[in-house]
Amino acid sequence: MPEPSRSDDGGAAESVDEGTAESVDGRTTESGGELATDGGSVSGVDGRVSGLTTYLRERPRLRTLAIAGPPYGLLVVFFAIPLLAMLVVSFQADQIGGAWTLRNYTDFLTSDTYLTVVWRTFLISVQVTAIVAAVGYALAYSIVRFSRRTTLLLLLVILPFWTSYIIRMYAWINILQSDGVLDSVLNLVGLPALSLLYTDTAVLIGFTYVWLPLAVLPFYASLTNLDGDLIEASKDLGAGPIRTFLSVTLPMTVNGVVTGVVLVFIPTFGSFITPRLLGGTNNVMIGMVIENQFKSAFNWPFGAAIGMVISVVVVALLLLATRLGGGLFGTGGEES
Amino acid sequence: MSAIDRVTDPFERFTQAHASRMASLVVVTVLAFLWLPIGVLVFMSFADGGVLSFPPDELTLRWYRVFLSNDAALDAIVTTLTISVPATGITVALSTMIAYAVDRYVFPGRNWLQLLSTLPIIVPLVVTGVAMVLFFNGTLGLPDYVSVVIAHVIRTIPFATLVILPTFMSFDRGLEEASKDLGADEFETFRQVTLPNVFPGVVAGGLLAFTLSFNEFVYTYFVKGSGDPTLPVYIWNQIRYNVTPEVNVISVVFLGVAVSMVLAAVSLTRVDLIARR
Repeated sequence: MPEPSRSDDGGAAESVDEGTAESVDGRTTESGGELATDGGSVSGVDGRVSGLTTYLRERPRLRTLAIAGPPYGLLVVFFAIPLLAMLVVSFQADQIGGAWTLRNYTDFLTSDTYLTVVWRTFLISVQVTAIVAAVGYALAYSIVRFSRRTTLLLLLVILPFWTSYIIRMYAWINILQSDGVLDSVLNLVGLPALSLLYTDTAVLIGFTYVWLPLAVLPFYASLTNLDGDLIEASKDLGAGPIRTFLSVTLPMTVNGVVTGVVLVFIPTFGSFITPRLLGGTNNVMIGMVIENQFKSAFNWPFGAAIGMVISVVVVALLLLATRLGGGLFGTGGEES
Repeated sequence: MSAIDRVTDPFERFTQAHASRMASLVVVTVLAFLWLPIGVLVFMSFADGGVLSFPPDELTLRWYRVFLSNDAALDAIVTTLTISVPATGITVALSTMIAYAVDRYVFPGRNWLQLLSTLPIIVPLVVTGVAMVLFFNGTLGLPDYVSVVIAHVIRTIPFATLVILPTFMSFDRGLEEASKDLGADEFETFRQVTLPNVFPGVVAGGLLAFTLSFNEFVYTYFVKGSGDPTLPVYIWNQIRYNVTPEVNVISVVFLGVAVSMVLAAVSLTRVDLIARR
């Protein structure tokens, strides 16, 4: 439970308010009382709430706890602790509460099959990230530097992201399956059918499709923040557009690029939907192995251990990204 | 002029001359790539022959009628709503509290709160899904319904917070000072001054949370037992085991929900807030 520890370390909670709180104190209590007496039942509730806020205002630590505590507690209990529980379970044999063992890890790390799957997952993730970064950056650049209707275009880019992931995969099944939309169109213009469904290419297309909108956003943000005068200066000094891009624009937007890369690589590495729906038997990815442990093999601790393996890769990547300067946790509010 | 310059010069001049056209080409191509599959889905929902035939011989509303008389699909929609509606309510309340606390108060663990409310986006869904099924179902033994609602709340909090927090931060605190100077207490001030001002952002956050929750698959798939499937789980089973043309119709339902929700959210706030991640 987070509450006790939080009130412990609440020692430094703000004291700025305390002075003002006291000065307003008498008046607020009065008005609260007034509302309660002359206003019927609704005001009675209001009065009680007012009384409560006054009570809390005199105790800033308690007030902060009352507001930050519930979401904090929920995230700790139902998000952070489950992740820790996964770590614990990954050292147990066969089932939750089983004997302590390292076997889940040794089994996984000594199996050529699993290591091949991890390596393949890594390669696919790298390819997807590279494609999405290149296409996404080109798109963001084109929108920011050359388009007038940036808001509309940005909206058109992000809208597909908010539709169901599975539906978007299903759309590509329609298109890529043999005699599907793509093959029919190729037939019409006299080209041979490709039957791309259940191939590497299908998996790459599927991933590129779902992550492209996600990656465009940080690219767009960093390009918008770029000072246009820098580009002018570079051109005035005689650099062509390509040279300017490589020596000014790209280095200045590296934060956005790193963020975009992380946002694409991590979910690709853990994905099981796309390879399951679009890939063939030789496109098994690590996420599918986990799914299998929970949906058919029912060896939860082993699944937990694979989850930890993915987490290690993710944490390593995040550390690397922080080194390179991605503003991944810059959700605002850091300046105060 | 150096040797390198002599090699790159023609490319530089080509780019200089055609930059704008190249940009248009990129925008048109990528938008086509993003929207054509969606167009195909909508079109195929009217196709007579079913999933495997393109181009269709005839257009029909038959699959819409099939969908409307399919109790399993309609039940799945109801199941989804009984999860998404409460989850959205809880998420909006909690995200607003996070935004209020982070914006107003300096307290120990404030950075941790921000980190925790962002992390569910970054940790791969399958990892969190596994962690949740182990802890909710394995350790705590929570009922299915409770587990799924909590999972949806965790899934949607980061996105709602991302929209609601900037709304709080861009709000002019002077108005609150004025309200307090005029004798209102903190709760009255929040209800009559702060809330009306941040309301559009809060609603936008709620709309996006609902959209995400309505589409949520991975957490649900792991945490939920074999009981009534949500619509995304229903579709997953359909696609994996027996594809019927009805799936195209359900896709259109999903599209309709997502597009209308996001457009409503966008009209209430700035696109780039939603666009942040």
